[in-house]
Amino acid sequence: MKAVGARLPRYDGVAHVTGQTQYVDDIRIRGTLWTKALRSPHHNAAITRLDTSKAEALPGVHAVVTHKDVPHNVYGHLEALGIPADEPLLAVDEVRYKGQPIAAVAAVDEDTAREAVSLIEIEYEERPAFFDIRKAMDPDSPQIHQWGPVYPHFGSYNHRRVRKGDIDAAFEQADTIVEGVYRPQAIEHCPIEPQTALVVPEANGRLTIYSCTQAMYFSMGVVAAHLQWPLNKLKFVGGTVGGGFGGKVDTASETISALLALKAKRPVKWRWTREEEFLASSTRAPWHMELADAVTSDGWILGRRMTTLHDAGAYARFSPYGVTKHAFHHTGAYTIPNVHFDGFVVFTNRVPTTAMRGFGVTSVSFAVETHMNRIAEVLGIDPLQLRLKNANRIGDTTPNRVVLKDPSTVPVVLAAADRVGYDLPDEYKSMTNERRSGDLLPPHLVDQLGGSDASTNGGGR
Amino acid sequence: MRLTVNGEPRDLHSPPLTSLLTALREELEITSPKAGCHQGGCGACTVLVDGEARRSCLLPLAAVDGAAITTLEGLGTSDNLSSVQAAFDEHYAAQCGFCTSGFIMAATALIDRTPKASREDILTALSGHVCRCTGYIKIVSAVEAAAKGDVHPERVEPSFEPEEAEVLIPGSPA
Repeated sequence: MKAVGARLPRYDGVAHVTGQTQYVDDIRIRGTLWTKALRSPHHNAAITRLDTSKAEALPGVHAVVTHKDVPHNVYGHLEALGIPADEPLLAVDEVRYKGQPIAAVAAVDEDTAREAVSLIEIEYEERPAFFDIRKAMDPDSPQIHQWGPVYPHFGSYNHRRVRKGDIDAAFEQADTIVEGVYRPQAIEHCPIEPQTALVVPEANGRLTIYSCTQAMYFSMGVVAAHLQWPLNKLKFVGGTVGGGFGGKVDTASETISALLALKAKRPVKWRWTREEEFLASSTRAPWHMELADAVTSDGWILGRRMTTLHDAGAYARFSPYGVTKHAFHHTGAYTIPNVHFDGFVVFTNRVPTTAMRGFGVTSVSFAVETHMNRIAEVLGIDPLQLRLKNANRIGDTTPNRVVLKDPSTVPVVLAAADRVGYDLPDEYKSMTNERRSGDLLPPHLVDQLGGSDASTNGGGR
Repeated sequence: MRLTVNGEPRDLHSPPLTSLLTALREELEITSPKAGCHQGGCGACTVLVDGEARRSCLLPLAAVDGAAITTLEGLGTSDNLSSVQAAFDEHYAAQCGFCTSGFIMAATALIDRTPKASREDILTALSGHVCRCTGYIKIVSAVEAAAKGDVHPERVEPSFEPEEAEVLIPGSPA
């Protein structure tokens, strides 16, 4: 542990300040073609006609690809985890979000590629678009996804659910019910390096793929699945990412570039414009979270009912995983013995949403912490004292029944209070994360305690 | 068109309306100026044109004919960093590094022009530059240190000896 607290040089610091760091766009391969994509101008539409022949005939164009060129077009980002596939790499007979790729062109330069895209003949039949996740279950809302309004594959349920304790009893025993609705909105990651891929066909039949991905082996698996190739024919080069923040987890540019490179038999580069980044790159999801807490007048939280709607955008991608993480964190850093949580992954005509800095958890932390302040206000209790009292302690169990071995809520809240000069009574200042006893072990928290000492884990299962 | 790029005279054959950024990157293969937005919004393409910090993505080649261009490659080398480069490294002012070239060029132009630049001067000079990783504080600290001459170009060496890993099977790699 000698490195902790020591000033260590960044291993890539000198390369960054001298301009020697090579990002994907800085790699030069002779004969590289430029890529441009035809993207949907509509939020929701049927494609009634698609003809690329004029684009193909344009001098300087080396390849045009549509869904017909993709060996395995519909592949799910989390198929390996048992989450079924719903999203085509290139749109087939419909588009579900503005910016969805339909076809792509590789040409000698950027201008020729852009001109070729404008020569692709396409006709649409616009359909009503759907954006308000609160109306997903309304019978008159537009049906936009083959699976219905929400992702239906959480085991036998159409939502992620958590049940623990006796929620009805908690609400009967409560002195007060505190309710709140929290709605954080979408955020574009906006890395300064736009999405970029460079794919080079090698003489031995393999592809070398220079990628800005945050997830090399994951992207490799996705490209291999679409191409129906074994992994050993793909060489991925990456690890130098010009900012990602979760936005470069989705495999966005590699596969289409690979198809173009194979068809053109030439190296192909695809660098998105800033406009494309904002239009078609995935964002953090908008969320709608409703909480109702059963509380006592002296500041104990007996139970929590929570319903979450997560805006997945047009396809599932990672959303079921994000909502599962969200579900595990729905009591925050506090111990609530009786919970009833339902989390829905709702489909809309937004661009598909994805991970961003604490996938699924930042939203629920915002809701939980804001709700803690609201409870304190309703009860007329100090908000830090409310937190310290209900804070996770050794032996407490989380909503998904993990017994906590070394939770840090108490020392963190005390340190924060100390730093800002926040005065607390002595009995709070002296609190620790030790196992509950005495005044900190009221009857409603006895049964949830797991394990007989800090070394056990999983005793609450 | 003829430019002096990092001290060397260079003839360019790109069309006159090609952006300076594209000409530098694609014709001369000088890749430190980055194409972050191609619309003057992020500052990642900043280079010095006759000593002044300019957005190379917005400058047509025809507008800079005859000018002296300096990019990050024209400042210090890895074993002889300029004071701004050294300060960026010392203060951890680069994270992913993609915006770094633009920030260093803008800071270099500022300090060349205003050697005792104040914090206010620095904030103004860097205001058009976007960083999405470090959050600016370390960047501003680095430029302040460079402006004060409080820079230690010798690399910060690790202040610990790595522990020997325990060898569980004698003769095996640790």
